[in-house]
Amino acid sequence: MCRRCAMLDRRALLAGGGAAIAALGAGIAQARVKPGDMVPLVGPGFKPTDRDEQGLWREMERVEEEVSSSNLLIQDPAITGYLQDIIGSVGGPAAKDFRIYLAHVPDFNAMMFPTGFAVVFSGLLLRMRNEAQLAGVIAHESGHFLRRHMIRSWRDMKRKTDVFAIGAMIAGVAGGAAGVYTGDYVQLAQLGALISLFKYSREMEAEADAMGSVQMEKAGYPPIEMANIWQQLVGEQTASAAYRRKHRDRGYGLFESHPAPESRMADLRADAADVTVPGKAYDARRARYLATIGPIRQMLLDDQVKLNDPGASEYLIQTLAQDGWNGLLRFYEGEVWRLRNRAGDEARAAQSYSAAVVYPDAPADAWRWHGISLMKAGRAGEARAAFAKYLGMKPDAPDAPWVRQMMGA
Amino acid sequence: MRYRLFGITLCSVLLAGGCVQTRQYADMEFTPPAGEYKLLVLRPDITVGSLTTGGMVEPRADWIDEARTNINAALKAQQAGRGASALFVEHRTEVPGVSAAELAEVERLNFAVDESIVEHKYLGDYLPTKRGRGLDWTLGEDAVRLGEKSGFDYALFLHAEDQVASTGRIALGVIGLAGCFVGFCAPNVGGATQLDYASLVDLKTGQVVWFNVVQAGSEVPGIKFGDLRTPEGAAQMVERLLGRMKPGQSVRRREGKT
Repeated sequence: MCRRCAMLDRRALLAGGGAAIAALGAGIAQARVKPGDMVPLVGPGFKPTDRDEQGLWREMERVEEEVSSSNLLIQDPAITGYLQDIIGSVGGPAAKDFRIYLAHVPDFNAMMFPTGFAVVFSGLLLRMRNEAQLAGVIAHESGHFLRRHMIRSWRDMKRKTDVFAIGAMIAGVAGGAAGVYTGDYVQLAQLGALISLFKYSREMEAEADAMGSVQMEKAGYPPIEMANIWQQLVGEQTASAAYRRKHRDRGYGLFESHPAPESRMADLRADAADVTVPGKAYDARRARYLATIGPIRQMLLDDQVKLNDPGASEYLIQTLAQDGWNGLLRFYEGEVWRLRNRAGDEARAAQSYSAAVVYPDAPADAWRWHGISLMKAGRAGEARAAFAKYLGMKPDAPDAPWVRQMMGA
Repeated sequence: MRYRLFGITLCSVLLAGGCVQTRQYADMEFTPPAGEYKLLVLRPDITVGSLTTGGMVEPRADWIDEARTNINAALKAQQAGRGASALFVEHRTEVPGVSAAELAEVERLNFAVDESIVEHKYLGDYLPTKRGRGLDWTLGEDAVRLGEKSGFDYALFLHAEDQVASTGRIALGVIGLAGCFVGFCAPNVGGATQLDYASLVDLKTGQVVWFNVVQAGSEVPGIKFGDLRTPEGAAQMVERLLGRMKPGQSVRRREGKT
C-alpha cells in the first residue's frame, strides 16, 4: 500500500517539477529575434480564410466602428493624413490596407488591432523627436499585423487552456481513483501555463521589433531611432519615479506582457546594426515632423503638464529642448514648476516665463503668467506691458475683464 | 462505495443544472405598445461563439450571421403580429433624418444606462431612491430628439450572446462525469450559456420604459436550450425576451381595481 503511495507521489512530483521547470524557463530572457528571419506573413488585401480568424475579424468590425467614431479622436486631417502616410511607408505588403486613428490620450502608447487598424495616443506625438521615431513605433505595430500575432497568440492561448483543462481533469480523476489529492500540482501546472502565455506575448513583441526594424530601413529611416525611443522612455520613467521617491518598475518579471525596456533597447540596437546598409543615406525627417505636429504641440504639452507628473514632464521638456529651446518649451517648463509648487518653485517659474517671452513663438499664456509674476514681484509697470501683450494676442480671452482690472489697479 | 453513491447523487442533482431565468422591469406607467406603432430596432448586438475545451469563447462569423438573420426574422414576425411597423437598422447611417454621429451618441448613452440598470436592478446594488418606483431611468433629450427627427415611437435595443459548447468541452464534461465513479466528481465544468437583454425606450419621453434579461446556462456541457443558430431557437429566445411584456405597477394596480 505504502509502496504504491510513494510511487504515485514521485510521479505527481515529477509532473509538478516539469511545470516548475517550464516556469523557470519562461523567466530566462529569450534569444533575440533576428530581423533577417522576419518575413511578412500576409500579402496585400489580406482577408482571413480560417474560421477562428474570421470570427475574430467579425468581432473587430464593430470595435473599429466604435473607435473610428469616438469623440476622443483627433480629427485634424493634416495630422491623420500624415500618420496614414507613415504607415503607408513602413507597412510592408499591407501598407494600403492599414487604417490609423489618433486618440487624444496623453500617454505613451500605440496599438494594432487584428483587422489592421491602429490607434496611436497623442502622448506619443509629444515624445517622439523626429519622424523616424514615430515611424519606428508605427512600424512595430504594423509588425504585429504582418506577423499575424493576434491570431497566433489567440491560438496559443486556446491550445494551452485546452491542454490545461484536460490535464487538470485527468489529474483529478486519476488522483481520485488512486486516492491522492493532486490539487497542488494542478495549481502549479496552471501557473506554468499562465507564465508561458506571457512569455509567448513577449516573443511576439520581440518579433514586432525585429520586423519593424526591417520596415524602417526599407523606408529610409535610420533604424537606430527605434532603440532611442526606449532610451527616452527609460529616462522618463526613472525621472517620474525619482520625483515620487520610488524606483522605476524595471519590467523584468514572469508576468510582463512586454520585454523589459532595457533588453528591448539592446536588442533594437543589435537589430539596427544588422539591417543598416553601410553607405546608404538615411533621413530622420525631423523638420517635416515638427512642421506637421506644430499646430497641436501646445495642446500636447498642456495635456502632459496637467498630468501632475512633474518628474516625467520635466524630463520630457528637457529631452525636447535638446533640439533647441523655444518659447513654448520655456513656458511649459515654468508651468511644471508652478504646478509642482515646492519651495522656490514660484521663483523658478517666474524665471521660465520671463525667458519664454523672449522667444517670438511664446504663447499668449506665457505673457499672462509673466505679467502675474511681475505683479507679485511689485513690478506693476512691466506687468501692465505684459498683460497688454497678452490681451493683444488673445483679445477674447475668457479672463480678459479680470486682466484689464489688474492692469487698471 | 460511499464515494460512488455520493457521486451519483451529486450528478443527478447537477444534471438538472441547466436553467433559464428571466426577470423584467417596467416603468410604473408603462403599457405595452399596441395598435399601430413605429418601432426602431437598433442594430441587435449578437455574438455567437464556440466554448473551447479550456473555457475560452471563440466567436464564429458564420454562426453570428445565422443568428442575426434568425433573430431579425423572429422579431419581425413577432412585432408585426402586434401592429408595429418596424425598421431594423444594421448600420448607423440607415435611420432617415438622423446622422450616424447622432445615432452613435444615443447608442452609447443607452449602453451606459443599460449597464446602470443591470448594476442596480439585477446585480444587487439596489438604490434606495429608486425603491418601489419600477424602472426609473431615462435617455433624456437625446432620445426625444431622435424620435422627433426620425418619427419613431419606440426604440428597441437588443443584445444576445450565445456560447455553444464545443465537442472538446462536452468531452471534458464527460470525463468529469466519469470521475464521479472514482470519487472525483466534476461534471459541472460549465457548458453552453446564453445571455440576452432588451430595453425599450419611449422616444416621446426619452424614458426607458421596459427592460428584460434572459439568462440561460447549463453547468453540464452538452445540454442545450434554444440555439440561436436555428430559426426555432431564435424564435424561442425572442419569445422569452419580448413575448410577455407586463404593464407597469401603477397600471396593473388600477387594472386590478377596476
